Amino acid sequence: MTRTILYLGVAALLAALIAFFSSFYFVNQTEEALVLQFGAPQAVVTEPGLHFKTPLAQNVLFFDKRVLLLDAPTEEVIASDKKRMMVDAFARWRITDPLRFYQSLIDHDTAIMRLTPILSSSVRRVLGSQTFAAMLSGKRAQLMVDIKNAVNQDTAGFGITIVDVRIRHADLPQANSLAIYSRMQKEREREAAEYRAEGDETAQRIRARAAREVTVLTAEATRESEILRGEGDAEKTRILGQAYSQDPEFFAFFRTMQAYQDSLGTGGTTVVLSPSSDFLKYFGKGPGGK
Amino acid sequence: MPWTNSSGGNGTGGPKGPWSRGPAPPGGGGPPDIEEILRRGQDRLRRFLPGPGFGTGTLIVAALIVAVIWLLTGIYFVGASEQGIVLRFGQYVNRTGPGMHYHLPWPIETAYTLDVTHQRQINIGYRTAQDTDDATAQEDMPTEANMLTGDENIIDINFTVGWVIRDAGDYLFNVEDPDATIKAVAESAMREVVGRSAFENILTQDRETIQIEVKALMQKTLDGYGAGVTITNVNMQKADPPGEVIAAYRDVQAARADQERMRNEAEGYANKVIPEARGRAARIVQDAEAYRQQVIAEASGQSRRFLSVLAQYRTAPDITRRRIYLETMSGILGTMNKVIVDDSAKGVVPYFQLPSMLNAPRPPAGATATTNLPADLSQGSGQ
Repeated sequence: MTRTILYLGVAALLAALIAFFSSFYFVNQTEEALVLQFGAPQAVVTEPGLHFKTPLAQNVLFFDKRVLLLDAPTEEVIASDKKRMMVDAFARWRITDPLRFYQSLIDHDTAIMRLTPILSSSVRRVLGSQTFAAMLSGKRAQLMVDIKNAVNQDTAGFGITIVDVRIRHADLPQANSLAIYSRMQKEREREAAEYRAEGDETAQRIRARAAREVTVLTAEATRESEILRGEGDAEKTRILGQAYSQDPEFFAFFRTMQAYQDSLGTGGTTVVLSPSSDFLKYFGKGPGGK
Repeated sequence: MPWTNSSGGNGTGGPKGPWSRGPAPPGGGGPPDIEEILRRGQDRLRRFLPGPGFGTGTLIVAALIVAVIWLLTGIYFVGASEQGIVLRFGQYVNRTGPGMHYHLPWPIETAYTLDVTHQRQINIGYRTAQDTDDATAQEDMPTEANMLTGDENIIDINFTVGWVIRDAGDYLFNVEDPDATIKAVAESAMREVVGRSAFENILTQDRETIQIEVKALMQKTLDGYGAGVTITNVNMQKADPPGEVIAAYRDVQAARADQERMRNEAEGYANKVIPEARGRAARIVQDAEAYRQQVIAEASGQSRRFLSVLAQYRTAPDITRRRIYLETMSGILGTMNKVIVDDSAKGVVPYFQLPSMLNAPRPPAGATATTNLPADLSQGSGQ
């Protein structure tokens, strides 16, 4: 009997304890809670800390209220000018209305599954309306805002807000990259050839100028030289003319004698003389020769 | 629950969130689940309920010991570079500085410590040995590093981002996986800034500007998330043409050097030939000047000589003429081959063997006739 009472007491205590422990719950700093009563949403608890609920009748769902990740896979996007690019975008979002979120997207994993295609299609739609060049300009920031607004529009009523959409990568497909590499290479080759040609040009210019200067220097020197030589010759003519004009007849004799000496005096010459010549006058006719 | 998968620790060297400190216990799937904890607590409590065979005294002593130990578990230490965060039933209630602190024991309060002064670094475009288990020193990540520039070229950029936790509470509670978020924001910001800059400028003068812009853009974005971090620096480790075309870029440098070299060679040549030509020109002028002075001097010498002889000649013209004539003739004829033919042999045709005459011995070279010449006719005596 007492044993039965003891068992009953213990059972009652246990039941009370279970009721006690299942009547409170913690809401973490990073969470919000949705209280369901027999499955029907009852209340949203945003305040972190210790909270109470009716045991058994109510249960609690927790939702992260931090800024959450949403990463779209890399996708090929065709810009309005038909250029292709590989775009890897990500979004940051948060749950703003746990009740709506629960009703439309249920939980975090389902939400990611539903939101990823929405993000992808918004990326394609917004970027597809732009030229490729717009991606590579100051317009990029505006495009990211446009995508964010588009996603926000598509997810209206889901109880979430897209905080930010950012394009992580926007690159060209491999084939186009190769084309760019080849263009860059060609440009560099052209540049290198240009530098070399310019170097050649400069060198030739410098050499030609040097050659010109050499020729001019030589020519000017020659001119001056001729002038000087002319002056010398003129002076010589003047001096000698002045002297010789004093007795032209003697000059003729004197100068002829000099010329004989210069032209005949070096030997090797044979002369045929007549004994009656002036020089051999005495040789031919004796001391009395006249 | 979202709470449980915070900061997955993808190994970028950043701090671990409080819910995944250190490596996850084997099979443990990470941080404690609060409801799970509660359930375990209930189990544990049930075990202490009075059962058969225990004395009341023993029970009370045991309960006291357990209570004391329980209370002591609330002591925790915050290191010099750390901040302590205290949560009461999951609610953020207090932030503590370095030193020893006490929090109400679990499950009422929990405390986490977080290193806030330590500067953390993310490498983008490459991985160092500490990022991966691989011991190889550095590995390029082309998909991260290669990006499009504003003028549709591709550039290979490696950069690092340094950051610190500004507010431990914001860092822990506002953003899911803050480390991965920072990295994603860094990549996005760098591409945005590079995407509107020209290739050449990134390689050269715009490096500094780009770092500043990326830092500002990252800070703005992360502040928008309330991430509670401060970006301390963005450093471009490398900004190069991609590997596929780097040889062409190096060749451009070589071509620049070639250009310079060709110019220098040509200038060297010019610097050599022009002074040489100048020297030659000076010599030509000097030669001419020498010639001028020479002929003038010679002429004036000849003129004086003639005038001197003339003055004497005038005193005795006939004698002097004859003397000069004879002296000249003796000088000249002394060295000549001479044939004297009498006028009376007019009828006889003189016959000479010309070759033998021509081969006749000549006077030895050098034995010139000058010694025989009259002094007033010998060459050079006027000089």
